[in-house]
Amino acid sequence: MNDSRGALSARDAVDLPGRPLRTERGAPPPHVRSRAARARAVLAHTLGLGLAPALLALGLIGGWEAWVRLRDVQSYLLPPPSAVARALADDPMRFIDAARLSLTAALGGLLVASAIAFALAVVMAHSRQLERALYPPALMIKVTPIVAVYPLFTIWFGFGIWPKMLIAALITFFPMLVNAVVGLRSVDPSALDFMRALDASRWQIFWRLRLPSSLPFVFAALRISVPLSLIGAVVAEFLSGSSGMGQLILIANGDFDTPALFGAIVVLAVLGVSLTALVSYVERRVLFWHESSVGT
Amino acid sequence: MTAVGTPAVDVRGLSHRYASTRADEGDLLALADVDLTLGEGEFVSLVGPSGCGKTTLLRIVAGLLAASDGAVLVHGRAPAEARSDHALGLVTQDPGLLPWRSVAANVRLALDVTGRDTDIDALLALVGIERFARYHPRQLSGGMRQRVALARALAHEPRLLLLDEPFGALDELAREQMRLELLRIWEQRRISVLFVTHSIREAVLLSDRVVVMSGRPGRVVDDVRVPLPRPRVPAHEEAPEFSATAARVRAALAAGAP
Repeated sequence: MNDSRGALSARDAVDLPGRPLRTERGAPPPHVRSRAARARAVLAHTLGLGLAPALLALGLIGGWEAWVRLRDVQSYLLPPPSAVARALADDPMRFIDAARLSLTAALGGLLVASAIAFALAVVMAHSRQLERALYPPALMIKVTPIVAVYPLFTIWFGFGIWPKMLIAALITFFPMLVNAVVGLRSVDPSALDFMRALDASRWQIFWRLRLPSSLPFVFAALRISVPLSLIGAVVAEFLSGSSGMGQLILIANGDFDTPALFGAIVVLAVLGVSLTALVSYVERRVLFWHESSVGT
Repeated sequence: MTAVGTPAVDVRGLSHRYASTRADEGDLLALADVDLTLGEGEFVSLVGPSGCGKTTLLRIVAGLLAASDGAVLVHGRAPAEARSDHALGLVTQDPGLLPWRSVAANVRLALDVTGRDTDIDALLALVGIERFARYHPRQLSGGMRQRVALARALAHEPRLLLLDEPFGALDELAREQMRLELLRIWEQRRISVLFVTHSIREAVLLSDRVVVMSGRPGRVVDDVRVPLPRPRVPAHEEAPEFSATAARVRAALAAGAP
């Protein structure tokens, strides 16, 4: 395809990982079969896709369990998967409550930071001078190790959810800002010329051209910043030791409660994977027209 | 066809220089003292070597670029004013369609922006893509995309169509087909057309006049009237007048080569 989006491309902002093509290789062409047969084929296909990873996971967990039992490994060093499952099942509310707090801090920070970053990006994309003025402080936020400022936040904001949200916000701010600026500028010059020749207003150009053009970059930023927000929130909780998954880990660590430690890791991994999958799902829906979704 | 009344485009003593971004280089003179008149309803082609400022001239007429020197009038007014009258339609080599909009919605963009209204289905039928209204640009071939771009440029019923190598990226077969389509559409609408092209044959077959430009800085070296009757058909390419006109354009290009 003849794609000319100006000098800046997606790769200037962040690396856009190529998503696997969702082709139905091997499945018979869908249009020749009835709806029920098609549904069955899709189900079988989906199960088939999930089969290999599921078998691998089962094998690993089984091997881990067997190894711990056969070699009689101390539970505080490496608990068997069954002990981890028991820790999760015995007191699920402990994990759910902690996860809810962490998730609130992470997503709250992410949403606020993304909204502010995008609004700033709109301003910066329209004026090189404002971009020059705003870029250095934004860069400073990025390069300062966030952990270093956390003690200040506890002095100012106490031990509630706010300082955690702030950490999650600071850590996710920069990826969205940079990507949104590049995205808002990555407008097809021919489309821009056409709209200008029609005397389109800045506002029309923004809504009809710039904003949709920026969406692939916004989603690329989200795929980076969603896991980052979780890291930010948990690190903040870890440092303050006052709430959430960070605190749970800290306590389990102090108690040599290794099964609970593993349980926390499992919960955080599930959260991270689910959030990333959600972003990918929405992205595929919204960006059906973008070249990254060829083959869907 | 002779121009009566106010010409669609009137360019007098136009020069344009691009300011250099480097201190050790002089400014780039793209156009030098260009005169050009395009009568209302006339089809005029601009031919010239690459980098001779054809596109610059077109962008100045479209009001996308302010000229360094000289006078430009579109329908007797400054290009920016003609632009705010929605008097212009633009098609460029890269169609510049919005990939998230369907074909029909891309054409509707011109109506959204200008606040005008038209029968989109009839327009799509005019350019031969009525069956693709619900498709997205990615699903179309290069020739089809240019048809969409053409429909979009005609949607708000402009008085002047500016075409900047619209078929430049197409293969020869699609190009041939688009030439005939453009001829057919022009016969129906009879609006003024300023057509930038690299192809001498294309220019002669389509135009009332072919304006030949020299290499950088671009000057007008010849203004050739095409003595072929309308409506034009492919068979005109075999006519002796066609060969004679093409030969004169070719000679002017050779004379203007740097």
